[in-house]
Amino acid sequence: MQRAAAPYFLILPSFLLAAAIILWPLKEIVSLSLHDVNRFGMLRDFIGMEHFRVLFADPDFIAATWRTLVWTAAVVLGTLIVSVPIALILNEDFYGRGVARILIMLPWAISLTMTAVVWRWALNGESGMLNSALRGLGAINTNIQWLAQASTAFPMQVLIGILVSVPFTVTIFLGGLSSVPDDLYEAAATEGAGTWDQFRLITLPLLRPFINIAFVLNTIYVFNSFPIIWATTGGGPANSTDILVTYLYKVGFRLGKLGEAAAVSLIMFAILLAFTIIYVRLAMREAKT
Amino acid sequence: MSRKLKLSILFWLFLSPIVVVILFPYAVMTITSLKSATEVLNPNWWLSELHWQNFPEMWRTSGIAEALANSLYVSTLTTTLTTLVSIPAAYALSRYQFTGRDAFRQFLLVSQMLSPIVLVIGLFRLVAGVGMIDSLNVLVVIYTAFNIAFCVWMLQSYFSTIPRDLEEAAWMEGANRWRTLIAVFLPLAVPAMVVTAIFTFINAWNEFVIALTMLRTEGTYTLPIRVFSLVAGRYTVDWHYVMAAAFVASVPVAILFAWLQRYLVRGLAIGAVK
Repeated sequence: MQRAAAPYFLILPSFLLAAAIILWPLKEIVSLSLHDVNRFGMLRDFIGMEHFRVLFADPDFIAATWRTLVWTAAVVLGTLIVSVPIALILNEDFYGRGVARILIMLPWAISLTMTAVVWRWALNGESGMLNSALRGLGAINTNIQWLAQASTAFPMQVLIGILVSVPFTVTIFLGGLSSVPDDLYEAAATEGAGTWDQFRLITLPLLRPFINIAFVLNTIYVFNSFPIIWATTGGGPANSTDILVTYLYKVGFRLGKLGEAAAVSLIMFAILLAFTIIYVRLAMREAKT
Repeated sequence: MSRKLKLSILFWLFLSPIVVVILFPYAVMTITSLKSATEVLNPNWWLSELHWQNFPEMWRTSGIAEALANSLYVSTLTTTLTTLVSIPAAYALSRYQFTGRDAFRQFLLVSQMLSPIVLVIGLFRLVAGVGMIDSLNVLVVIYTAFNIAFCVWMLQSYFSTIPRDLEEAAWMEGANRWRTLIAVFLPLAVPAMVVTAIFTFINAWNEFVIALTMLRTEGTYTLPIRVFSLVAGRYTVDWHYVMAAAFVASVPVAILFAWLQRYLVRGLAIGAVK
């Protein structure tokens, strides 16, 4: 009897804590999204899907949703493409590998907010050191106002997003590469397989589960990523770099429309849940065949 | 030229563009933090003089000391609390079969997807409802809750790699379960605990959106909020002070991280697969 109860005692503290901090606010958000709410958060009449209807009629919301999808796809795919060769190199034995690893991992250790604030300064039109560096290299003749319009601000934010996602992804890939036994390569080499074939036939398939993990986790992180956009442009100018999280924050805390903000939260959760379920299904089907 | 040297040159050539882009903002940060007030708006890369006074001046005027203390407090407490509640849960998942085990794992997975930002409206109501806006302890509890899933997961997969035979041998010798846990199991699990603790610490140290929402008075600001507040919503920004503050906020963690990152790679490698 005592033995049977033991595991429940062991998981109880973590379960209670996580449930209180995660399930209670979730319940609260569901109820906010279905009620008329005043600025001070008082619930009034039940209004069903009205907040959702208002959202879908708001062009800013629709634009932010599409931009979130572009943002997530661009950052995640960019990160994966950059990270595979970096991990392959860092897995080899070469002079200065320790230093290279530390340099590549560096953005992970530094707060995203700090990195974003520094980029905001570096991208400044008149005093920014990116413009002066590019002019010094002869790449541009006139200063670019990087953060003044979405067409230059958003690609820069994607670039920053990729840079800060690479360390985590490379770390996962390095873990995967360290589990590939060396004799597989030796066997392949004696069979006459070239470097490219070895990569295509051995490394990539064995790396597959790690790419899957990195893909899912990065998608969740990037989809929810707030500081890069908030600290560089704040979603501006004129909401043109807003993604769903910054839109949510503005609607909730600047405009005080708590009901609509709660509805955005639920839509975001639904998108993530759908993504995860579809992806896990696909990954499992692939694993079977 | 040896093959290894040739390869090294080739690899560094390939890595150099990305290394340059990664280092670029931190170079900007360091250089700007040493510019004088008159030189700061001038985007030159070579300094006419190194203006070290920025650091003591920034320290006095920006409130960074207080923010540093707040961040240390929150991160240390979060790490301790997360470790304390995650180890038993991970132990239960790796050593017991029980009804609800899979349900608990699913719950952890879902809680990973519900990031703080998605729940921020509900969290704010929860915290405001109990009248604890501006409390650092509230941050500790929230950060802990959101770090539990990852830590339990990591610890659990590491625990599963520790062979049961060792514990069973100790039981044979007559040690009870509790004694075995303390003397045999936990010492073997130290590497995984260190990795998850570093993770949690860095997450708490760098967290932005919850702190931005819950901390309303300057005395309670953590480092990211403090530095952000030196920039946001101001007409004139003293960028040399901002960069000095960002430098002070980043360098200690970066050094700690550089020193510990090899363990991180090893720990994640084990944790990620299972």
